[in-house]
Amino acid sequence: MNLGAGGATRPRRVLPWLAGWLLACATTLHAAPQLQLDGEALTPPQAEAAREVLDAAVRRLPRTWADALDPGIVVEWRDDLPPDIHGRLRGERLLLRRTLLDDWIARGAGGDANPATRPALAAVIHELAHVHDRSPRGGLSRDPRLLDLAGWQVGPLRFGLRLSRNHFTDRSPDAYELEDPAEFVAVNLEHFLLDPGYACRRPALHRYFTAHFGSAPPHVQCAADLPFLQPDADAGQTPLLELDPARVYAVDYLLAEGNDRAMSRWGHTMLRLVVCAPGRPRGPDCRLDLAEHRVLSFRAFVDDVQVSSWRGLTGDYPSRLFVLPLRQVVDEYTKVELRGLQSIPLRLSGEEIARLLERAARVHWSYDGRYRFITNNCAVETWKLLHDGVPRLTNERLSSITPHGLLRKLAHAGIADTSVLDDPVAALRAGYRFAPANAHYQAMFDVARGALQLPQHKVEDWLALAPGQRAPWLERGDLRASAALLLLEEAAQRREELLARDELKRLLPDHAEDADAATGEARARLRAVLELEGLLSRPAALLPSGYGLPQRAERDALAADAQLRAAQLREQDRRLHDEARALLTPQRRARLASIDDNLALLGERLRRLHHEGGGLQLEQLQARPQVH
Amino acid sequence: MPRLLLLAALAMFSIAPAMAGSFAGSSAGASSAGSSASSGSTSGPDKVVLQARDDAAGFVASDGRIRGAMLEAALRHLRDADPRARQASDMELARAILAQ
Repeated sequence: MNLGAGGATRPRRVLPWLAGWLLACATTLHAAPQLQLDGEALTPPQAEAAREVLDAAVRRLPRTWADALDPGIVVEWRDDLPPDIHGRLRGERLLLRRTLLDDWIARGAGGDANPATRPALAAVIHELAHVHDRSPRGGLSRDPRLLDLAGWQVGPLRFGLRLSRNHFTDRSPDAYELEDPAEFVAVNLEHFLLDPGYACRRPALHRYFTAHFGSAPPHVQCAADLPFLQPDADAGQTPLLELDPARVYAVDYLLAEGNDRAMSRWGHTMLRLVVCAPGRPRGPDCRLDLAEHRVLSFRAFVDDVQVSSWRGLTGDYPSRLFVLPLRQVVDEYTKVELRGLQSIPLRLSGEEIARLLERAARVHWSYDGRYRFITNNCAVETWKLLHDGVPRLTNERLSSITPHGLLRKLAHAGIADTSVLDDPVAALRAGYRFAPANAHYQAMFDVARGALQLPQHKVEDWLALAPGQRAPWLERGDLRASAALLLLEEAAQRREELLARDELKRLLPDHAEDADAATGEARARLRAVLELEGLLSRPAALLPSGYGLPQRAERDALAADAQLRAAQLREQDRRLHDEARALLTPQRRARLASIDDNLALLGERLRRLHHEGGGLQLEQLQARPQVH
Repeated sequence: MPRLLLLAALAMFSIAPAMAGSFAGSSAGASSAGSSASSGSTSGPDKVVLQARDDAAGFVASDGRIRGAMLEAALRHLRDADPRARQASDMELARAILAQ
């Protein structure tokens, strides 16, 4: 190394110098590489600083990288780089901005840890990263695994062909990384070497670089759990879910079956996380900890009451990874949409589950893709999540643009275990399948009809009655018949709600006509609700600073903020419900009120029959439910 | 318990119905806010029992033939928590859950 001498380097001066250097540095970890300094344009203090910067940067390099550095690299400090460019690589010449040296000289005390040293160090490391990446030992930016992790994802239609854009734009440390894979590698190696928090913010990439170089700089201890924002948390609970992968026993492929109304076998694809209750060891018993289970669901976020097919086809809706309580998903599909759910276990190791969740967290916090009906729907997104999260699966030809197609391929590859559905009764009992609510409507009706000699023959006729016509029958059944009637009355309620919703859908869009004052208020409220939902559905929007996975301080700030906004959302939503109900036709309101009365009647009757029959009272048990 | 879900999944049925369920927004938030309002003030394990009410109704009405996972979870929860529940039959417990 021939620093500060100016002019060209002559080999005969290098060897004696190198010998001396080796003696002097015998106690350091490894030999520094031969970075040559073109110091012609530098003042003596700048030349001194340049030597310090290069030494400090090289000290940061992992040994395998430093050892492989090309001795022909020349570093030149210049004043003619474009604005905002700190460095550039021209063949084997590193061109760096000269003013970085002045900042380095003015840095004050604190050594390498001083933040003022970062720009100069980062500039050198960035360009050296390009050199390494282009060398035979590098090739990182062409490695499919790096491209998976970085976000140049594989496309679904032609195997191996990657998407040209990186949609992991949220919570990026430096938007320049999205330019192309080479810049991604260079920017991320800056952070890998200079940022002790990188291991926790981008754990998968940190692991990748560590494996590549065989070592990593010292870094902080990372929290075991992964943060997710769950906007639908119960009142009083923080929407920030901190999930320890060690608590996840299994991941299931959760398929919503198509229904008759949809006239489609398309379905919807999700992943179910079988989370163990606190204190329960990871094992099959966790399958019944249903209240703990979560669902990862890619959905288009629609900021309107109407979904536009055109916007869906052209990718105008953002695709977001939602984290939802299983119970909510089961209710939405089986009771509101009357669609069954299949929950098929995926054969993944504990390690693979942890990696998959880590990937899900990265998608949750950073991904801002576009939903497209055909090429980027729920099945494609879920396939990409599995593909990028579990490297083993990249060897399988799993790509599919339909939920059933993806499941078939997963089963064919031996990853999805569909045998859990072989025994339908056992599958329902163990939660491998959730039946649509209407599967039992006729059976329920037959029970009630047998006990009460109801005049109707078909459940449809019963549900079509005005609620007031059903009411007299509701006070006559025994426990069995009353239980059946309860489920049917709930079905009637949901049916009525759907009709009410259709009424509202005609009233609430801004372009709808006949707006009176009340409708205007409800519209304004709806916009406020949608705005809050939009914010909560894009977690990065709530955290303006930091990159990658949020760390402790960010999580604490987020927890407070998100809780506040979720409470606002609940309140706005409650008022919207009230206002919307007032907009309904008087007939609709009356029917809904009658159904409420019917349900109250049935609840009361069930309690009385049970009590009179001397039935077991949960209140007397230790774990009595506290109904408020 | 079940409450008005006026705006739940408001968007879900208006489009290419094949894709219903893939949409959030007016669906995800509103419906969830609905379900949280219905169960908001109960703590974790008790919720397990409350949420099993429909499953319990199906079990009681079908004389034990219809048996869903929510009910299984609640039965296990009750028996884990109290020895007296361990002596009760599934039907006795299901009736008790239904009569809440």
